[in-house]
Amino acid sequence: MTEKMWNRTDQNKRRVDSRLFGGEISFGKAEIGKWILAAFLLIYVILLLWFTSGSTKPFETVAQIVENSLHTDNLARQDGQALKRYYGLNSADYNGILFYSTESAISAEEVLIIEAKSEAQVQTIRDAIETRLESRKTDFAEYAPKQAMMIEQAVILVRGKYVFMAVSPDAQEYAAVFTKSL
Amino acid sequence: MLFSSITFLLIFLPLVVAVYYLVPQRFQNSVMLIASLAFYAWGEPIYVVLLVLSSMFNYFCGRDIEEKKGVPQLAKRSLIMAIVVNLLILGFFEYYGWLIGTVNKVFSVEIPYRVLSLPIGLSFYTLQALGYLIDIYKKEMKAQRNVFQFMLYMALFPKLNAGPLMRCADFQPQLEKRTVNVYKLGQGAGMFVRGLVKKVVFADSAGVIFNQVAALPMGTISVLTAWIGCLAFAFQIYFAFSGYSDMALGLGRMFGFELGVNFRYPYTAKSVSDFWRRWHISLNEWFKRYVYIPLGGSHCEPARHICNIVVVWLLMGLWYGAKWNLVLWGLFFGIVLVMEKYVWGNRMGQFPEFVQHTYTFVVVSIGWVLFFSPDIGYAFDYLGIMLGLGGHDLVDQQSLYLIVTHWLLILLCGLGSSIRGRDLFRALTEDYKNERVRRVVVSVLYVLMLIVSIAFLVA
Repeated sequence: MTEKMWNRTDQNKRRVDSRLFGGEISFGKAEIGKWILAAFLLIYVILLLWFTSGSTKPFETVAQIVENSLHTDNLARQDGQALKRYYGLNSADYNGILFYSTESAISAEEVLIIEAKSEAQVQTIRDAIETRLESRKTDFAEYAPKQAMMIEQAVILVRGKYVFMAVSPDAQEYAAVFTKSL
Repeated sequence: MLFSSITFLLIFLPLVVAVYYLVPQRFQNSVMLIASLAFYAWGEPIYVVLLVLSSMFNYFCGRDIEEKKGVPQLAKRSLIMAIVVNLLILGFFEYYGWLIGTVNKVFSVEIPYRVLSLPIGLSFYTLQALGYLIDIYKKEMKAQRNVFQFMLYMALFPKLNAGPLMRCADFQPQLEKRTVNVYKLGQGAGMFVRGLVKKVVFADSAGVIFNQVAALPMGTISVLTAWIGCLAFAFQIYFAFSGYSDMALGLGRMFGFELGVNFRYPYTAKSVSDFWRRWHISLNEWFKRYVYIPLGGSHCEPARHICNIVVVWLLMGLWYGAKWNLVLWGLFFGIVLVMEKYVWGNRMGQFPEFVQHTYTFVVVSIGWVLFFSPDIGYAFDYLGIMLGLGGHDLVDQQSLYLIVTHWLLILLCGLGSSIRGRDLFRALTEDYKNERVRRVVVSVLYVLMLIVSIAFLVA
């Protein structure tokens, strides 16, 4: 942005005249601009609702739908203690948790859904997930590079107060089910 | 991004200061705009689009209102459209979920709705935009000609998250010309560190006490514990808000901007009216200028005046958040202010200062209970305990434990929120015969304060 750019907008003189319902109405650039921006704002809000909104559905409903879609051959449901041990998060602090992890030492597969109680908690959960993934990636990099690659491609979604994370060959499929369940 | 985060303190701020001071003056606005958008995008990149679209929309609305000045009816229509769109955006993000949730509860229905997180700073920059448009309509300022300068006014990162609210008419000259020098940089850095200590050391520590009390089952809270919890919240919210404001003022000055003082030792107030003249000053001034005065202010019949006060405070409560207890909080202060104006305000001065301070503190504390409670039922239960209703113990082990473990913090918070605390700090940093000694003491003190704050943050 140069000084020229800062001054370039200092022009709004030309007006477009049109006739509407018999009366002369004059549309300035500013008027056209504000209606275009209002339309952009509307489109933006619709897109936000479509792609980023959370849900008021009970956590159990969402968790049940996702749980039914999981391929549980390699995954076992974990409790709050495991969440505390691996992510440093207290399950009691949240509306609900669904945590599946593999019990095999050579697999990095994990699926986690948490519904936070407040928006402030969402960032804490995201940070905990990032830390966990970073640490696991380092662990696997040496002896299981394919697993490290899978961690690299982990799917993390934040939808309202829901945080979803999947490290799995089927991560995209689980993410789609999660999104649809909201 | 938050001011009190390691990323901001150790990476973002030093980088922006370095670039800002290295580039020629004509590029400094550009640096600030880019930095402000990056600051905002750090936590919620998706909402930076809303900030940009909203800024551009209001820029065009301002120009449009000005163009139509010759035809008042058209200008008024344009202003109304702009206000409606701004309020719809604010209402959609802040109140839509709350309203549908209320309908669901009241009518026992299950209307599904999508939940969106609240964009940080939306309620602040929306108020600034509304003030800007109303000022243009009332011909109190000219519409901003430069879209980038207007975006910088809306998005300037020191005041973006939590104010202070600035009128564009007052801020405009600073966007065009401001003084930047090392002296201001040092002064601003000092203010920033003081604000950081308030937030990280005092507010967060007081928050620990409050959280301990709030986590207790209602039946086990004694009267003294309830008052300690309320006192802790009073300190937490004061030091968090005023700390953030001090950081904003300090950051502003580091970059040559002068932002308005937002808190003036509110807990030293002698009446509730006085308290609100000292608390979140820029927000109260906004409501006074753009809501209270247009409604008729105090220059009308008493009944209308009372109505104006209550309406302003209901709106203020709603502005703080979409919760029924905040609406009640606003109504409560509206009623208290009416009573001070028409019933006991004139007689207040007859009482000793101690009584006036105690009265103000008790009323404000009742207000804080309404403010921090998750719902109205909890608020009344908690207030009942504070007032000794319901057969709760006056003192118990828990309250004694809280006093023994936190007495020093409570004492320091009391001192830090008083004028005596300010005087002590000034004596520590200013009263030296030898200027060189003063500089050394001040430098060491501020570096220590910064180190302690970072230690608290890391811990």
